[in-house]
Amino acid sequence: MSLNPATDLPFTCHQLGNGLRVVLHRDPTLPLVAVDLWYHVGSKNERPGRTGFAHLFEHMLFQGSQHVPTNDHFRYVQLVGGVANGSTWYDRTNYYETLPAHQLDLGLWLESDRMGFLLPAITQENLDTQRQVVINERRQRVENQPYGRASERLHELLYPPDHPYHWPVIGYTDDIAAATLEDVRGFFRTYYAPNNAVLTLAGDFEPAAALERVEAYFGEIPAGPPLPPLAPRISDPPPLGAEQRATLEDDVRLARVYMAFRAPAYGDRLWYAADLLTAVLAGGKSSRLYRDLVYERQIAQDVSAYISPLEAISPLVVVATARAGVEAATLESALRAHLAHAAAAPPTAEEFDGARNRTLTEYYAGLQMLSNRADLFSQFTTYFDDPGGLAGEAERYRRLAVEELLEVGARTFIETEQVTVAVVPAAS
Amino acid sequence: MGTDQKTPIGSLAIDRSSPPAPGEIRPFHFPPFLRRFLPCGLTVLAARFPGVPLINLELLAPAGAQLDPPDGEGLATLTAALLDEGTAGRSAMEIATGIEQLGGYLATGADWDTGYIGTGLLRRHLGAGMRLVAEVATTPSFPEEEIARARQQRLTEILRRRHSPAVLADEQLARAIYRGTSYAHSVLGSARSIADLGRDAIVDFYRRYFILAGSTLIAVGDLEPELLLAEAAAAFGGPPPATARPQAPAIRPAPLPGIAVHIVDRPGAAQTELRLGHAGVSLNHPDFMALSVLNTLLGGKFTSRINLNLRERHGYTYGASSRFAGRLGPGPFVVAAAVATEAAGPAAREVLGELRRIREEPVALEEMEETRSYILGVFPYTLQTVGDLAKRLEDLAVYGLPDDYFNRYLACVAALSREEVLELARRHLDPDHAAIVAVGPADLLRPQLEALGELTVTAPDS
Repeated sequence: MSLNPATDLPFTCHQLGNGLRVVLHRDPTLPLVAVDLWYHVGSKNERPGRTGFAHLFEHMLFQGSQHVPTNDHFRYVQLVGGVANGSTWYDRTNYYETLPAHQLDLGLWLESDRMGFLLPAITQENLDTQRQVVINERRQRVENQPYGRASERLHELLYPPDHPYHWPVIGYTDDIAAATLEDVRGFFRTYYAPNNAVLTLAGDFEPAAALERVEAYFGEIPAGPPLPPLAPRISDPPPLGAEQRATLEDDVRLARVYMAFRAPAYGDRLWYAADLLTAVLAGGKSSRLYRDLVYERQIAQDVSAYISPLEAISPLVVVATARAGVEAATLESALRAHLAHAAAAPPTAEEFDGARNRTLTEYYAGLQMLSNRADLFSQFTTYFDDPGGLAGEAERYRRLAVEELLEVGARTFIETEQVTVAVVPAAS
Repeated sequence: MGTDQKTPIGSLAIDRSSPPAPGEIRPFHFPPFLRRFLPCGLTVLAARFPGVPLINLELLAPAGAQLDPPDGEGLATLTAALLDEGTAGRSAMEIATGIEQLGGYLATGADWDTGYIGTGLLRRHLGAGMRLVAEVATTPSFPEEEIARARQQRLTEILRRRHSPAVLADEQLARAIYRGTSYAHSVLGSARSIADLGRDAIVDFYRRYFILAGSTLIAVGDLEPELLLAEAAAAFGGPPPATARPQAPAIRPAPLPGIAVHIVDRPGAAQTELRLGHAGVSLNHPDFMALSVLNTLLGGKFTSRINLNLRERHGYTYGASSRFAGRLGPGPFVVAAAVATEAAGPAAREVLGELRRIREEPVALEEMEETRSYILGVFPYTLQTVGDLAKRLEDLAVYGLPDDYFNRYLACVAALSREEVLELARRHLDPDHAAIVAVGPADLLRPQLEALGELTVTAPDS
């Protein structure tokens, strides 16, 4: 059988003397290389009053470093036909470029410069501008979006105030506005060190030569200090003990109901079961919620359900938007009945097979872009120290039994551990 | 430690002071594809795409929303949405369950130019996917109860969109620049037009425009193209229909008399959605390829003039961009940004200033070369997935482009001069005859924008 890099996912893994882990995945199908760098720091490492800092800091990493002038990160990348970006999440921050394969060194130069030589380039002027950019990003994504505040409220109710999943990744406006240059410097020194990072290269390169270049660019960057401990009981917050509820008024015409539960951490056997259960509930037109709420009873305009892949404890969220004139309470009782059923009886064999086939197709689809593949290698290495975990993902879905969907449903869908947020049209 | 082999220490010494020299460039060629005409009149484009075991099938009929009758706005999209809601042999739920059970999806819909049926599924289900597309394309039954259901869902969707500031801005801009033409309406239709659309109109639209003659099937996946063609030929049999396809009406918007400012009032909104635009040219216009160079430099990439100005220099926005929308008719040129409300006036002036500047002075040599090499270099990046390749082949089909279109496009970008960019800007950008739309609090926006041109204020529901 011939090797197919996109599905067989071959790789080698290395560690430099400063602790940087390096994953190399060769796929010469296209003349491209993806450079993907994960730092194991996210909003989880923030504290109340200083929320949104990890994300604001991500913006600062595009403002230049000692040898790369302000704005020239994107300029250098785009000059050669590359694409670059970064993103911040609860548990991690990533930076990535996809470049023409012969420009691999450019990506290594840019990423190593900001890992090793950031601070001389940080200025108050750049920080002031990026605070405004991020405050506008928050307005665009949250405050000026219909239903935009709901998921923030959901997290606030699902996790206690000192739990780091309590606040939104983008942070609160006052906290963003309060960020100082000293915060930027301290955060960099604490978290942006090679021993807290994973670098993945995916694409058309010779692994031995590429590793030599990685060593040349990153090897001299010193390791950082030990990382500060995370908040206590992060994987095991005290139970809610009673349903938590909020009703938000918004400039909308259609009511919407969100229900959230604490579900297993990513990587747990039951995380995969929960993922398939969300597909049974709301994945496609043949799913339970779509068929019942949207198609047959026509009380909902749309439904969705998902479990986020979080390291400590994942939120499982079920959402339904009402048809015009349908009350939130009507949707709520319909959702409750479905969740109670999922906690009491396993899906049928047909539901189970369909959900698994859809999930596996999505898994293959997600492997197509080199940058996605690189990002997944970095993810498995950052969270589990196991780049081979990526190739094992399909098997983790395949070996599930239908009873495990019942097991996770029964453990998760408990009314006294539920958060309900209803968004209703503002009285005008 | 890293390397297994001994590395001479000299090779570790790197110069960080400037970007490293590139290695040897590796060639990229647009993937080969086959074109075949079936006896039923359908054209098939088939291509092998190595990688994951997935296939994409897309049937494209020239049945887009530009064909909506004046009293039937939304007819094209509603007809397309109903194609998979019941066929001669199966109910809507049987169709959905059948494809989703195999792990695939089925989507039907329409944009301005095209009505489409698309499916994506595992390679081993190719035959089932091909039969499904043929079933939905040729035997939809349009049951009354499904029409009623789709109509209610659409009416709710139209209501929901009244609360999306970005949608309000896009729709107000279209009304402002396409007055009296088909492009002024929403492809989804209005509450009034949808409420009036009945089964007769839907069946009539389907019979007129969803015919295989003149339609194209795109088949892409990790299979031999000949095999994809054979499966298509087996699924789409029969003689071509006798009826000729009706011509689409020409869309010729009148230029605006000056700058028109439209405020859509959302009291207390946290931000303002800003648009500035005017009618552009058809994708089939001889200048369209070259316009992508002008637009990329102006507002089509992160380091474009407009984004660097509004985001990085002024911090007015999270991002600003511009585009020439490619359509059969003259699609819009639009600059878009969500800006801090107190910056709406200054942001609009900066955008007008950038449009004037690029019409007055030739672009700098450096930014010209940066833009050119970005477009040429990024091309392989845009062809990484089965869906990416299918999308490119769709463009060939929908716009009747020659098979070597993308090579011609790259050659055009490589050869374009700064003088030609200046000429293009003068011909195709018109900041003095444009519409400005601001969706946000009118009391704060009016004083900032009223000096720019004739100003009207409307409510989101008007």
